[in-house]
Amino acid sequence: MSTISIEALTKRYGAVTAVDDLTFRVAPGRITGFLGPNGAGKSTTMRILLGLARPTSGRATIDARPYAELRDPLRHVGAVIDASVFHPGRCGRTALRIAARSARIANARVDELLELVGLGNAAHRRVGGYSLGMRQRLALATALLGDPETLVLDEPATGLDPEGVAWLRGLMRRLAADGRTVFVSSHLLAELAQTVDDIVIINRGRLVAHAPMVELLDRTDAASLESFFLEATSTHSGSSS
Amino acid sequence: MRPLVAAELVKLRSTRSAWIPLVAGLLYAVLAVVAATSLAGHGGNPPLSAGWLPELMRGSGGRFLDGAVLLTCIILTAGEFRHRTSVTTFLGEPRRLRVVAAKLAAAAVTGAVVGLVAQVLSAVTSAIVLSTHHVPLDWTSPGVRGALLTVPLLAALYGVLGVGLGLLVRNTAVAVGTALMWALVIEGVLPSVTRAPGLTRWLPGNAANAVLHGAPWTTETLAAGAAAALLTGYAVALAAAAAFATAKREIGTATG
Repeated sequence: MSTISIEALTKRYGAVTAVDDLTFRVAPGRITGFLGPNGAGKSTTMRILLGLARPTSGRATIDARPYAELRDPLRHVGAVIDASVFHPGRCGRTALRIAARSARIANARVDELLELVGLGNAAHRRVGGYSLGMRQRLALATALLGDPETLVLDEPATGLDPEGVAWLRGLMRRLAADGRTVFVSSHLLAELAQTVDDIVIINRGRLVAHAPMVELLDRTDAASLESFFLEATSTHSGSSS
Repeated sequence: MRPLVAAELVKLRSTRSAWIPLVAGLLYAVLAVVAATSLAGHGGNPPLSAGWLPELMRGSGGRFLDGAVLLTCIILTAGEFRHRTSVTTFLGEPRRLRVVAAKLAAAAVTGAVVGLVAQVLSAVTSAIVLSTHHVPLDWTSPGVRGALLTVPLLAALYGVLGVGLGLLVRNTAVAVGTALMWALVIEGVLPSVTRAPGLTRWLPGNAANAVLHGAPWTTETLAAGAAAALLTGYAVALAAAAAFATAKREIGTATG
C-alpha cells in the first residue's frame, strides 16, 4: 500500500511557472484521475514524481521517498510517461528485455506481459512498425514488469482502440482492487468518468479540485465530469478548492 | 551494477546502426593488411620482412578502429535521447551516476573486445599473407605484444570518449559532427591557429598515435606512457563532465 504525496510543488522554466505550489495526495486502493487543460502542468508533475525533472521547490514522493531514492524502482512504481520511448529498430521483446535486465527481472515475465498486453504475436516485430496503440501497450507492459504497488500513467489510453481502452479500464480496476495506487492522467473525460474513484484537477499549475468523483459531482450539481471540468478550468485561474 | 552493464550491452547488440561502424572497423583491419602487403616492394615501399608483422597489426587496428568505436558509442549514447529510450533507462535506474558508470564500463568493454578481435583478424590475415611470401613470423616480438595491448586499450579509451561526448551533446548528428570536425579539421589546424606548434603532441589524436607506435619523447610527440596517461586524462575528464551534466539535466519527453 503506497501513497503518492505532492507537497507544495513548484516548477519554473525561466519566467514560466509550470507547476505552482501544488499539494495533494493519492490514496492506495483507488484510481485517481489527474485532469487539466493542455499546459496545466500534469506531465511536469508526473515527470517530477518520477525523477525525470527536478522541482524548483517542494516535494513529490512515493511512500514518503523521492523516486530517485527507491531501490529497485520498477518493483515499486510502474510508469507510462510516453508511448514513444522505444528504439524503433528493436523488436518489442528486446525492448522489454532491456528494461527487465536492468531490474533483474526474468525473461519469462517479459513473455508473460507481452501476452497480457496483446503483443505476443508482434513481439518479434520492430517497434518502428508498431502503431501508436501497440507502442502504448508495450509501454504498459514495461510499467507492469516489476508487478509494482504504484502505477503512474500519463495518457495511457492514447492510441488504444475501443477494445484496448476497455482492457485498460479493467486492468486499472483490478490493480486498484488489489490495493494498489493508480494515478492516471487523461483528456478522455467520458472514459475517466467510468473508471476513476478520485479526481484531481489542476489549471495553470495550481490545484482546482481534489475530491472523490461522486462527491464532487453531487456537491457542485454538475451534470457530468466534463461539464464540471469545463466550468472549473474556465472559472478557476489559480485558486484551489 | 552488473545488470546495468548487461542491459547496455544488450542495447549495443540490438542496435544495427551502432554495429555498422564496428563492422567497418573490423573489415578495415583485414583490408589494410591486404592493401599494405600488396604495395610492399613497389613505389619505394620496403619489401616484406619479419619486421612487417607488428607494423601491420598496429596499422590495421589503429586510428580507423578507434574512430569506429567512437562513432558506435556516440550513436548508442546520444541515440538514447534521440529515441527517448533514456526515459525507460532512467525510470529503471534513477541513480543517474550508476547509469553513466554502466555506459562507460560497457563502452570500455566493447572497445577492448573489438580491439582484440581486430588484432586477431589482422594477425591471421598478416600470417596468411606473409607465409605465402615465405616471410618468417615472429609472434614473440615486443612489437606484436605491444600491438595486442595498445590497440584494445586505445579502442576502450575511445569508447569512453564516445559515451562522454554522446551524454554531453545528446544530439547524435551534432555529436558525430563534432567528433569528425575535431579529428579531421580542428586537431590539424589548432597548432597553426594558436601559433603553438608544440601543442600538437598534447592533442588526443597525436597522443593516440604516440601510444600506438611507441614513439620516443620529442618536440612533436610524447613518449608512449605519457601519451597513454594523457589520453586517459582526456577520457576521464570528458566522462566526469558527462556525469555531471547527466546528473543535473532533465530527462525529456515528447509531452509537456
